[in-house]
Formats: sequence, C-alpha cells, structure tokens
Amino acid sequence: MTTKSVTTAPKSTVRVAPSVLAGIGAFAAVGAYVLVTSIDLGLWTSLGPGPGLFPFAMGAVLVAMAVVWLLQELRRPSETAEGVDLGLVIAVVLSLVILAAVMDLIGFQLGMFLFLMYHLKLRGRRGWPSSVITALAGSFGAFYAFNYGLNVSLPVSAFPLLNTIGL
Amino acid sequence: MDTLNELLNGFAAAMTWQNLLFAFLGCLLGTIIGVLPGIGPVAGVALLIPLTLNLDATGAIIMLCAIFYGTAYGGTITSVLLNTPGEAASAITTIDGYAMTKIGKAGAALTIAAVGSFVGGTVATIGLVAAAKPLGELGLLVGPPEFFALMVVGISLLVALAGKSMVKAVISGALGLLIAMVGIDPVAGAPRFTFGMDRLLDGVSFVAVIVGVFGLSELLSYRKDTATPTVHAPNLRSLLPTRGEWRRSAPAMARGTGIGFGLGLIPGMTGSVSSLLAYGAEKKFSRHRHELGKGAIEGVAGPETANNSHANAALIPLFTLGIPASPTIAVLMGAFLQQGLTPGPTLFTEHSEIAWAIIASLFIGNLLLLLLNVPLVGLWTSILRVPSSILTALILLFMVIGAYTINFSVFDVFVMIGFGLLGLALRHLDIPLAPMVLTLVLGPLMERSLRESLEISQGDFSIFTSRPISAVLIGLGLLIVFSPLLKLRKPKALNEDPET
Repeated sequence: MTTKSVTTAPKSTVRVAPSVLAGIGAFAAVGAYVLVTSIDLGLWTSLGPGPGLFPFAMGAVLVAMAVVWLLQELRRPSETAEGVDLGLVIAVVLSLVILAAVMDLIGFQLGMFLFLMYHLKLRGRRGWPSSVITALAGSFGAFYAFNYGLNVSLPVSAFPLLNTIGL
Repeated sequence: MDTLNELLNGFAAAMTWQNLLFAFLGCLLGTIIGVLPGIGPVAGVALLIPLTLNLDATGAIIMLCAIFYGTAYGGTITSVLLNTPGEAASAITTIDGYAMTKIGKAGAALTIAAVGSFVGGTVATIGLVAAAKPLGELGLLVGPPEFFALMVVGISLLVALAGKSMVKAVISGALGLLIAMVGIDPVAGAPRFTFGMDRLLDGVSFVAVIVGVFGLSELLSYRKDTATPTVHAPNLRSLLPTRGEWRRSAPAMARGTGIGFGLGLIPGMTGSVSSLLAYGAEKKFSRHRHELGKGAIEGVAGPETANNSHANAALIPLFTLGIPASPTIAVLMGAFLQQGLTPGPTLFTEHSEIAWAIIASLFIGNLLLLLLNVPLVGLWTSILRVPSSILTALILLFMVIGAYTINFSVFDVFVMIGFGLLGLALRHLDIPLAPMVLTLVLGPLMERSLRESLEISQGDFSIFTSRPISAVLIGLGLLIVFSPLLKLRKPKALNEDPET
C-alpha cells in the first residue's frame, strides 16, 4: 500500500446498479401514484379521517424512503446481488400462467398433469415411468384427495366432452 | 385455579381423536416443510391453509400451530446431517451439529436437539398459560388509541430488526400496508386501488400473496438445480446420547429456554436471533466452551432449545394482545381471522374453549414431535433423497392448489404469480420480506384503530399522547425507529465500518 493510497480518500469507482436504480424508480413511482390517488379518495371528511388518509401517508413514506435510498446509493453503492436464472424464471412463470389460463377450460386434472409432465420430463429430464407416476399422483390423485377426502373442490373442465369423462 | 380448570377443559377438547389426528398431521407436515430446503415456514404454513379450510376452527388452528412448530424441529435435521439449515433459526446448529455428524455422533445430536426443543417448547407453553389471564385482562383496557400505539411498537421493532438497511425495511412495511389497503375501505366503504376490478373489492388474497412472495420467489431465485445430496441416516443405536452428554446438555437447555422465551415475547425478534444468542451464551458460560465449533453437544442443545422456546413464546403476544411477533405468526393470525377468530384479549372472553384447546394442543404437539422425531430420523432424511426436480414440481403443485382454493378462483393463482415476481425483485434488491407480511396482516387493523381513535377525538391527534399507555407506547416506537440516529454520535472510526 502506498502513502498516497493511505492519505487520499478512496474514490468509489462502483456505480449504482441499473436494477437498483430501476427498483428505486419503481417504488418512487408507486408512492407518487398512491399519493395522487389518495387525494381523490378524500383525506378528511366531516366524520374524521377519510379513506385516503392512511394510503396518503404510506405513499409519502414510500416516496421519502425511495429518495433516501437513492441518496444512500449515490454515496455508497450497494453490492450488486447475484443475477437470477432467467431461463428458470421464464419456464416456471410461463408454465404457471398457461396453467392458470387453461385450468377452468380443461380442468385441474388434465391441466396439472401436463404442467407436471413439462416440469418433470422436459425440464427435469426425469425418466418416463417416474414422470408419469408423479404427474398422475399430483394431478388425478390430488384432485380426488382434495375433492373427496377434504371436501375442497378443484376445477373441472368447461368442455362437456371432457366433463363427461370425469375431467 | 380457574386457569387450571380451563386448561384441563382444553385438554379434554384437544384430546378428541380428531384433534389428536390434526395435531399429528400438523407435526408430520411441519417437519417435512422444515426438512425441505426449498420452502420456509412462512410459505409452508400458508400453503397448507387449504387443507384446513373445511375443518372446524379448533381443529384447523391446532393443525396450523403444529405445522408452525413442527418446522422448527424439521430444520434441525438438515442442519445436523447436511450442514444445510432447513430454516434460518437452525443455521447456527450447523456448526456443532455437523461437526458431530462427521465424528459419528449425528444420532446423539438429533436426539438432544429434539429433547431440547421439547423442553423449550413446553416451558414456553407453560409461560403462555401463566400469562394468558393477566395479559388478557390488561388487554381489555386497551382502546383504539392504545391498540394503534401497540401496533406501531410491533412494526417499529420489526423494521428496526429486519436487516442491514432500515430504509429498505420501511419500504417493505409500506408496501405491505398498501397491499392491505386494496379493496373496500373498512370505515367509509369506498373502493380503493381496485383498478375497476370487482375481484379486488374483497382485497388481495392474503394466502396468494404470502405463497407468491415467500414460496414462489424462493423457487424462482434458485441459481441452478441442486444435486440430490448424499444422506446417511444414523442408525438407532447411535441415537442415544451418553450420560455425560445429557449432563452437559441440561444447563445449555436451561439457558436456551430462558433466552428463547424472553426474546420470543418481543415482536420483530426472529428465532435465529434467539438461537444465535443462545450459542453466544454457551461460548461464554459453558464449562466446555473451548470445544464449541468442534462438535460440542452444548452447541446443539442451547440453540435448538432456544429456537423452540422462542417459537412457542411468540404465540403469547398473539393470543393475549393480538400482535403477531414474526412473519410465520402473522400467517397464523391470518388463518385465525379466516376462521372467524380474532386473536387478542377478546379471544379468551368470546372463544374461551377454542383458545384453551389450542393451548393444550401445544403441549400435546410438543410431545408428539418428540415421539416422531427421534425414531423417525431415517424417514425424514429419506425425503432429502427425492430429486430436486420432483420436489420443485410438487411444491409448485401445492402452490397452485393453495392459491386457487382460498376463493376457488384462478384469479388468485395469477395474484400468486405476480407476487412471486415481486418477491423475486425484492430479494434481488435485498429488501427484507418480513416487515411486508407483518404489515399486510396488521394494516387493516392498524388503519381501523387509527381512524376510530381520530373519530373519537374528532380529528385531534393528541389523543395518542394524552392517554398514558398510548403515549408511552408511541414514545417507545419513536425511540426504536430513531435510535439508529444515535450512531451519528459514534467516533468516526466506528462509522467507517460498513457493519455499523
């Protein structure tokens, strides 16, 4: 270590991570939206506090904290968190969205069977026997366990043809 | 005497075969959740709420409580055998627990952990019995201003203790409060933040939010598919600790019980703080402190007793004051509310039989866990041999069922997915999730008590400072929130340490 490096204050070469800036911006935007909407809801009525008072306070807190966080980041940027496995995120989220979208149409059993087969056979690269057995247990088995064992109804297909065969 | 009679009546209710079965199932499922590294106790309890939807209130809460403290036991197993804690409160146990596994003493470590957990849990439940009446009666003196002030203290503590950055903790808490405000305003009846969607008039489903934020985001944040670990279950003969190990464990259990109980009463204190302090106490007071870190039994007995004592003691503020002390308890409180029970002083006046049956079931559940854990260690470890792809698929299955069955609507599955992505973003930004879940539950109650207070005082905010109890509590809350400013007075050298 040189004398210069000890006596001069180290200049931070680390920049604020774009994801952190995006996060701060998002929180500030949500806070600002809540602030504006709360005023329309009414902050005070003749009976006392209005429906907008509490959200208004929370919106203000969110905006204020976003500003403080930004100042903190500009002074000393926080370490960037590890990135996420984007492939995994897309695969899981997309498959869940498709399942949720079709569950009322094709029923829980068929929808969940296909969902589990995708995650076990295609993504997990499991063998056919273990994939099929697990998917059957998780779809048809879970349907019967919840419907008849726990009296908790899971959706059946909206298509008459599938419905008549018990799906 | 009244308390004893009510407790005995509680035992009579808790020991019906149905309630025993619910306690047993809860312990079993809780242990499995604790063992699974991919899912924490918060999401675990929320996920299993659908299983209790059609049960009577007593059975449902007995089962959910058993799941809750079962997770504390389950987390120990992976800490000891795999050096991987199933949940945060068992993290410190990995140090000596895994060291004991390496020298062939895994069985003894697991047995001592189970016995310690039983001792800590049972003593804390006795504390709950003793505190229930007096605290409940005190709670009846609490009006809307005091209730609001009490929640301010609870949230302040959670925010102050939530992590490295108080700013991020406040953001998390504010987000939770905003999510809680979606739906019909509780006083005026006006729709708020529903974006014109009828489905949002009843608010956002609590379970869907919790499962998304805690469960789905955890799965989404996996970096890569983890390989199935190699686990060698200890044989039954090695499960028995030696007489010397029992003798060494007893004082550690006593210290752990005290630490866990004391900290469990404080909202915002997590079980991991208790187990960490219990380990610290062993380092200071144990006669064998030089062996800590190398496989000392005290390093397992102290923290494991503390985290279970903590878990059971944390139920005291919930039962007596209606304040959830941790995120998992907040989920439990959500389940209480869903069953039409409001935790707090009125629980003992309006639903006395249910309250005492649940308390009695805590004793039974702790005993069941002791009986389940020691001989079935081999079974629990076999769960870890299930390939991660199968576990992930099955956890996703339960998430979908959990979200769907709350309102029997796929809309809640979409809500769960949305909040899973939000949770992932919050994790990426290092924003703690605990304040969010606490304010999500407390938000509506907090807003209602604020508005009722201001209506009583006709808009005069001095109502919070003119009443002694609320004034003290508000002062305490402010002190907690602003105490970090005191750091400014520290010497410069200390401020340069990023940890301070």
